[in-house]
Order: sequence, then C-alpha cells, then structure tokens
Amino acid sequence: MIAVSTLGAAAIGATLALFFVANARLKSANTASARSAVVSAAAFDVRGSVTAIDVALQQVVDEYSPKNVAQWRRASRSWVTPTAALERAAAATNDRQEQRARALRDEIRAYIDDYGDPVVGIAKVSPAAVRSSVAHTEGARRLGQITRDTDAVARSSAVIAADRSAAAGRLADQATIAGIVALVLTPVLLILLGLWLARVVADPLRETVAAASEVAAGNFEVRLDDRRRDEFGELAHVFNAMTESLAVSRSELIERADSLERSERHKSELISMVSHEVRTPLSSVLGFTRLLLERNLPEADRQRYLEIVDAEATRLATLVSDFLDARLIEEGRFSLRREPFDLRSLVREQAEVTFGHDESHELELELPDVPLRIDGDRARLAQVVGNVLSNAVKYSPDGGTITIGAEEASGHAHVWVVDEGTGIPPEHRGQLFQPFYRGDAAAAGIPGTGLGLAVSRRIVEAHDGRIGFDPLDRGTRFWFDLPLEAAGNGRR
Amino acid sequence: MAARALRPLILICDDELPLRELIKAVLGDRYRYVEAEDVDQAEAVLRGTKPEAIVLDVMLPGKSGLEFLSELRAEQEAREIPVVVVSAWQSADDQRTALKAGADAFVGKPFDPKDLASVVEALIAA
Repeated sequence: MIAVSTLGAAAIGATLALFFVANARLKSANTASARSAVVSAAAFDVRGSVTAIDVALQQVVDEYSPKNVAQWRRASRSWVTPTAALERAAAATNDRQEQRARALRDEIRAYIDDYGDPVVGIAKVSPAAVRSSVAHTEGARRLGQITRDTDAVARSSAVIAADRSAAAGRLADQATIAGIVALVLTPVLLILLGLWLARVVADPLRETVAAASEVAAGNFEVRLDDRRRDEFGELAHVFNAMTESLAVSRSELIERADSLERSERHKSELISMVSHEVRTPLSSVLGFTRLLLERNLPEADRQRYLEIVDAEATRLATLVSDFLDARLIEEGRFSLRREPFDLRSLVREQAEVTFGHDESHELELELPDVPLRIDGDRARLAQVVGNVLSNAVKYSPDGGTITIGAEEASGHAHVWVVDEGTGIPPEHRGQLFQPFYRGDAAAAGIPGTGLGLAVSRRIVEAHDGRIGFDPLDRGTRFWFDLPLEAAGNGRR
Repeated sequence: MAARALRPLILICDDELPLRELIKAVLGDRYRYVEAEDVDQAEAVLRGTKPEAIVLDVMLPGKSGLEFLSELRAEQEAREIPVVVVSAWQSADDQRTALKAGADAFVGKPFDPKDLASVVEALIAA
C-alpha cells in the first residue's frame, strides 16, 4: 500500500518540480532576452558615439578649426557613458561579455589616445600629413575593429538569449509532455490504487466479517490468516485470540453446566434414595402403631410389635442423623474428639455389629497379637470401618467371604476389608469417593446415599491418613492407613 | 386342620423383615403366608406352590420386583395370580409403571393397614 502511494506521490511531485524548473528557466530566458535588448541598445549607442568620434576627427582632418577641434573634444568624451552602460549590461550577462565590453572600451580609448588625439595634434601643424593614406588607413582599420567588436558584444548577447530561450522552450516542452503523461497516469494510478485498496482492505475486511459471522453462529474453530504484517494482520491476530478465548470459555461453561447437571442428578437421586430409605422404616412404625391402636392383640404380639416399632424408629433416627452428619462432614464442618485407643477393638466391634444379623456372608477376622494404638476420634473411625464393612456386604449380594484385617505397616495401622462381591467397574473407579456418587447401585437396587465413602475419606484424611481400594479378580480390597500413636506421626 | 389348610396362601416378597412382619400382622390369620427376601426366593416358592396372591416390593436386592412381575405375567402357570405391588416409590409414574408391568393393585409405603387388607381381600375374592 505504502509503496504504491509513494510511487504515485513521487510521480506527481516530479511533474510539479519539472514545471517549477521549466518556469524558472523561462523566467531566466526572459531576463536574458531583456538583457540582450539592453546590450543591443548600449552597443547601438556606442556605435553612435564611435561614428560621432570618427566624423569629428574627419572634420578636424579636413579643416583644423577651433570649432571642429571643440567638436572633437566633445566627441572624444561622448563615448564614456554608452560604453560604461554597455559594460554594465555585458557584466550582467556573463564574464566573457564583460571582458569583451572592457576590451571594447580599451580599444576606443586607445583609438582616441593613440590615434585620434595624435592625428588632431598633427593636423594642427601639418594638415597635409594627416590626410595621407597611411594615417587614414590606420584609422579605418581601428574603427572597423571597434565596430566589429561592438557588433560581436551585441550578437553574443543575442545568441546567449536565444540559447537560453531555446533551452527554456525545450524544458517547457518536456514539462508539458510530463504534465500530459501525469494527467493520463494519475487517473490510471488512482484506479490501480482503488483496485489495490479493494484487494488489501476490502478482501480482508470481507474475510473478517465472514469469520465474525461464523463465530456469531457458534463456530469457534474459525481462524483468520494473521501472517500479514499490517493492521489487518494485527486485527486477525486479536480476532484469533478472541475466538480462542471464547472457545475456552465456552468449553469451561459446558463443563461447568455438565458438572452442575451431574451434581443435580446426584442430588435428585439422593432425594429419591433418602425418601425411599426413610419410607421403609416409617411404614413399619406407622403400620404397627396403627395395628396396636386398632386391634386388641395378644400381649406377646403387642410386645413384639412394639420392639419392631422401637427398632425401626431408631433406624429412622439414625438414618436422619447419619444423613445430616454426612452433610456436615462433607462440608468439612466437624471436629475430631481424639483419644488414644487400640484399633483392634474397634475393628472387632464393628465386625460384630455388621455381621450380627448377617447370615449370608462368612466373616474372617485377621488381627495382630499386639495392640495398634492410635490417637483418633473413635466414633468417627467406627463410622469408617462400619461403612467399608457394610459396603462389602451390600456389594456382595451373592454372599461369600468377607475378610477384615489390621496390621502394622511402616509406622501406620493398615486396615483392610476384602469381599468377593461384584467389584467396581473401571468406569466408576475414578469417582468412587465423590459425594453422592453411586455408580450403578441405584439401578441395581442397592440402598445407600452415595455419601459413605466421601465421608470416610474426609474422616481418614482429617486423621492424616489415606484411604483407597484395589480391584481384585473377584471383589474388591478396601483399605485405609492411620498413623500409629507410637510413631508420633500426625499429632495435632 | 382341614379348615386351616383351606386358608388362601399369600406370597410376601420384601427384603425388609419388619415389613414382612407388618404385612402378616395386617392381613391377620385369615391367610397362610410364605415369605421371600428377593426374586430368587420368590421364584423358588412359585416352583413348588401356587399362592392365591402375591404382595410384592419393588426395590429388592438383585432383580427388581417389577422385572419379576413382567416375567411372571409371561408365564402360563402364574399369570393369573393377583399381585399387589407395595412400594416406597409411589409417584404417578411409578404407579403407572407398576400397573403396566402387570400389577393388579398398587399400595404406597407407608400404608394404612386397612387399605392393604381390603385390597388383598378384594383381589382374592375376585
């Protein structure tokens, strides 16, 4: 763009400069011809005064009289003014002309001093001698020379003026041609410039508009060519950056929306689950209470039904408090009530609680002979063991052996539960400890809130421990590590 | 003893022991009962005997109650047995699904003992 603009500007500038130069030359040619006229006029005057000198001298030669001598005296002075004028005019033309004028002046002076005045002096004493042909010839030669030189000065001025005029004329012709060329070229250049502008400005603009429309339509993959090294390259670069950041924001939004949707789904599943979990014991409580109120039952039945009501109401209360508890722990709003205790006793207790009513699974307990003393919240850790054990039971619907064990391993108490259940499909393994995540459990009719493992992890981590699982060929091995009190690790 | 033997037999299929107890208590000793904790046990019962009615829970470990019901309705032998679905899932949708699967009646948990008793009575009388 800049190259073409520069070229056009240079062409127009050059044409204008040519015009200025031609104008200056014409002016100078005018001056020269005016000066030539002055020189011609001065030369004419000089010739006039020379003629007057010649005539006056001739008269003195012809008749030496006071009148003629006086005439000669006047004439021999009359040349000074025109000759000085010629000299000035010639000096204004050039050095050569000035030299010529000066030579002419010297010749005239020499004519008067060396020839005229001696002739007048001789004429006074011997008029006949000055009328001799020798003297006469010398005078005529000198005059002829003066006349020729005067003419030469005039002619030279005219030649110089003519030369200048011709040169100025040629330049003017050239300027005219250049002007015509410029006149023709300027519109052509303007048209070319327009076309070029259309290509370099309109095309990228059109591309940008098309790309912006694509982006507006939701296609964030579109990119502009940003290799151009001008404002459009810059625009394309910024445009691409904008589109890229839009694409990133959109994918982030989609991801966030997905995660919200997932969490919403989890929550609605949870609500369904909780309402189901609550309704089952509630059915027993309400049903038996109604029976006890409405029917006259034998004492033994009354007693048994009341026991069921009590157990189911307790189950309901536990369920509700577990759920609230899980929420608190999940939100991190809980504190540990630490005390030193033997982890073996806790494992044993939980195993008894879980398997007290369970007849479909074999339980194996593998505990060390030495105590595993840890400093922790007994109730919370009981929750963890109970949760892992009840998972082992729930996810082994076909029965089988469930093994729970504990051992010391490099300063930690290592607790593990192995089941022979359904196992965890690879696609669910990453999210197992996510709150409300239940995998296929809801579809398989396995009760639960999806909070157990999430809560367990919070509790274990609050004890500076770790929790995890290893998939087995058949079933799963869940484990957690807690720092042993003797090791002095993780004390708060 | 003969009179006792004539009492209609009802299959109660629910994984919750207290609920099976409740259903038996509600329906009283006009009926005889056979219990199943899941679909497998229910199927085992049906292979040996044909009850007059089935009280069926939906949310069972393993195969769901409704799945069992659909299969039951496809069988020659057992398709006539009236089935009452008892479920904690009791939205209009859940009820429609149960009826579509072949339920003769739907009772939501928790239920009024009199409701369940009259529903079972009506189905057996029909």
